[in-house]
Amino acid sequence: METFLNILISGILLGGIYSLVSIGLNLIFGVVRIINFAQGEFVMLAMYATYFCTTYLGINPYLALFVVAPLMFVFGLAVQRTVLQPLQNEPMMQIFATFGLLILFENSMLALTRGEARSLSGSYSSVLIDVFGLKVSGVRLVVFIVVSGIALALMLFLQRTMPGKAIRAVIQDRQAARLMGVNVERTYLLTFGLGSALAGVAGALLAPIYTLSPYIGGNFILAAFAVVVLGGLGSVPGAYLGGLIVGLIESFSGYYVDPALKQAIWFIVFVAALIIRPSGLMGQVGAEEVGLREQT
Amino acid sequence: MTTSTLALAGTTAARSQSMSLATLVGRYAGLLLLACVPLGLTWNDPYWANILAYAYLFAALACAWNIIGGFGGQFSLGHGVFFAIGAYSVARLYLDLGMTPWLAVFPAAALATLVALLISWPTFRLRGPFFAIATMAINEACFALANYTDHLTGGPRGILIPFRAGFWNMIFVERWKYALLTFGFMSIVVLITAVLRRSRLGHYLLAVREDEDSARSAGVDVLRVKLLGMALSAALTGIGGGIFAMYVRVLDPPTLFALPDIGVKFALISLIGGIGTIMGPVVGALLIVPVENFLRGTLGGAIPGGHLIVLGIILVCAALFLKRGIVGEFTGAVRRIRNRKRS
Amino acid sequence: MTGTPFLSVENAVRRFKGLIAVDTVSFEIERGEILSMIGPNGAGKTTMFNLITGQLSLSDGAIAFRGEQISNLPPHVRAQRGMGRTFQIAKPLIGLTTRENVMVGAFLRHHRFAGAYDCASEVLAEVGLEARAEIPAGELTLSERRRLEIARALALSPELILLDEVMAGLNATEVTEVIDLIQRLNGQGMTFLVIEHNLKVVRAVSRRVIVLDHGVKIAEGTASEVLSDPTVVKAYLGKRAQ
Repeated sequence: METFLNILISGILLGGIYSLVSIGLNLIFGVVRIINFAQGEFVMLAMYATYFCTTYLGINPYLALFVVAPLMFVFGLAVQRTVLQPLQNEPMMQIFATFGLLILFENSMLALTRGEARSLSGSYSSVLIDVFGLKVSGVRLVVFIVVSGIALALMLFLQRTMPGKAIRAVIQDRQAARLMGVNVERTYLLTFGLGSALAGVAGALLAPIYTLSPYIGGNFILAAFAVVVLGGLGSVPGAYLGGLIVGLIESFSGYYVDPALKQAIWFIVFVAALIIRPSGLMGQVGAEEVGLREQT
Repeated sequence: MTTSTLALAGTTAARSQSMSLATLVGRYAGLLLLACVPLGLTWNDPYWANILAYAYLFAALACAWNIIGGFGGQFSLGHGVFFAIGAYSVARLYLDLGMTPWLAVFPAAALATLVALLISWPTFRLRGPFFAIATMAINEACFALANYTDHLTGGPRGILIPFRAGFWNMIFVERWKYALLTFGFMSIVVLITAVLRRSRLGHYLLAVREDEDSARSAGVDVLRVKLLGMALSAALTGIGGGIFAMYVRVLDPPTLFALPDIGVKFALISLIGGIGTIMGPVVGALLIVPVENFLRGTLGGAIPGGHLIVLGIILVCAALFLKRGIVGEFTGAVRRIRNRKRS
Repeated sequence: MTGTPFLSVENAVRRFKGLIAVDTVSFEIERGEILSMIGPNGAGKTTMFNLITGQLSLSDGAIAFRGEQISNLPPHVRAQRGMGRTFQIAKPLIGLTTRENVMVGAFLRHHRFAGAYDCASEVLAEVGLEARAEIPAGELTLSERRRLEIARALALSPELILLDEVMAGLNATEVTEVIDLIQRLNGQGMTFLVIEHNLKVVRAVSRRVIVLDHGVKIAEGTASEVLSDPTVVKAYLGKRAQ
């Protein structure tokens, strides 16, 4: 029983990580209708930025968050303006361009770090917190708490504030939103910046957990995809729940099947989700409809 | 006022002006001979023969990708899977059953096709970037599986094909023979693509790419067309993988599944050369493969991943500024000049 | 088989998450007639089209074509059975030439290049686009795109063509040309179901008219009967007219 609980808790916490990485991507896709292949790289860059702040500037990683997140916000805006905006109406070129960014960022980091793995000093990752008698990783618990808070805050933002409502309007129908006076281009910028800032937060919180490697972005983008398919496009609660489910599946299959087959399990999960419920748990627009609705 | 009779007479004449199949094949044969010229010039130099062997092979693989990616508009990042299936199958058939690779490529292609159909059937309900990322996930999943299934693929250490030269082994001492082999393969794929473009399936693939709704209303069974296109593409990619296996003779998962080297490379070559064109992938490969080789040589040592940084930049710039590719831009310019002359 | 209507729509219903777009609509079309469907914006006309051609599925009711139930058939099969359509927003296949666009339709009945090519050439001549055959479809004007849509539907050798606001945005000359085309094809036996806003066109072209408003059929009859029906007038002018 205790093993089961351990797997359960580690699955939930892992799910928190996936939710954190995916919420930004899901929002971006819901609004801008661009799947940013480089989103995982944003997280990776944020992780290295946090490492830099911690190791060379002596800032606590949880405080570095407040430096890294705004940095990523600006970085995201720059990418949106220079690369993605011109490719608005060309979905295939978006794939090429964002994949090109993925390769660029990944290998730039490889070149900068000369392939040496880095990790944050061990003091954080070894902290264990007692939860109902079980020893739980402190840093992962922090992630879970923060992502839950972020999900809640985002939901409130989207429901209650004007920019948030503008975002929801654009998710539903770009044309209609434009006709109602929503500045759609500015909403894109805002959303992309927000999504990138969230990637920044993810990077800062994950830096104490993972060994830093330029290749870590690739794993995140695949997990984020699984989350989006499960949770439904443009839905914050969907991304949150979807992340938890993916984390639980990975945790359980890792124990009962084989951790090396992680990607294969993910793939089976997406295909199953696609066949059973293409629009995801809570999505308004299912992944399969991408490309069907021509939004101008 | 109907002009049908006159028009009909006019169009029959026009149709005989529009290329007959024979003329079409002849024209591409001519272009292919042109593509063979570099080999004719450098065949004695093993360095260049090696580069050309790779260039022709990747041109063929990019052409194969282009069938579903360019004509069909379905951006697949998973063609590495068919490539790997082709490579592993031919290697195993050759080593375990002593089958000559010239024959082994066919069952390899069949297996690649079968797998392609199995994974495409559920994923084709995804569009655009979601289809792309699903295929990327398949690639990663198969990478993991290849590492896992030691008894089939040799696991992380891979498979080594011992050097035993012989025509029926598809193993040659001289590099130019490999280059000739891959040139031959490329020619076959290009001709298949040219015929396909003109055919019913070719037109249907293009229709599906442009607008699935319109295609359906024109009687096109969209899913079936996508599956057929994917099947052809996968089969040809599998054969290419088999040829690759007999060339490099060292097969391990990173070599076969690495996206920037394989899966994305096919797409990049098609993009640079011209997505949806027929000779585009050939032009793209003859450009990219030597350049990448050069970059890997100069940068790769000093800066780890250096040549991939350049690759990434090329991808982004090509997507922004060279959407139609070299051949696409060229034919577009020719048409504009011709129209201006006409008016 | 005489007496079996060519196209029969029986109590068709289509719901979208609480909104009823088409509410128990029934009508029939006879072979060889031109039936117009009119109604204010949002009345459910295009939805009705999509139900007939299969782009949308029925929430309830049934549709039969030439005596056979087609309610569960996918759009491409209905096209194969002899139904062609145009779209409200013309969707040319941009990466192809005008001729190739039409050939996509022609390949349905002509599996080889030569046959499809010839069929496309004939159709292009019929709609007056033969001079623009080699131009990339993306460069066609609006009126040409509309005619291309019709051409692609014609190339299917259909028996029924559905035209969705094919006159929208055309000038008077272009409208006359399209009316001529429709009448010419109708003379050769083609059946039409037409959505139109231009009432002049409706009078010129159709024998019968049905009127939809808020998803409900509110009138059916000849053009003059329907257009002088007070229910119809009110639907168009809205409650403000009272």
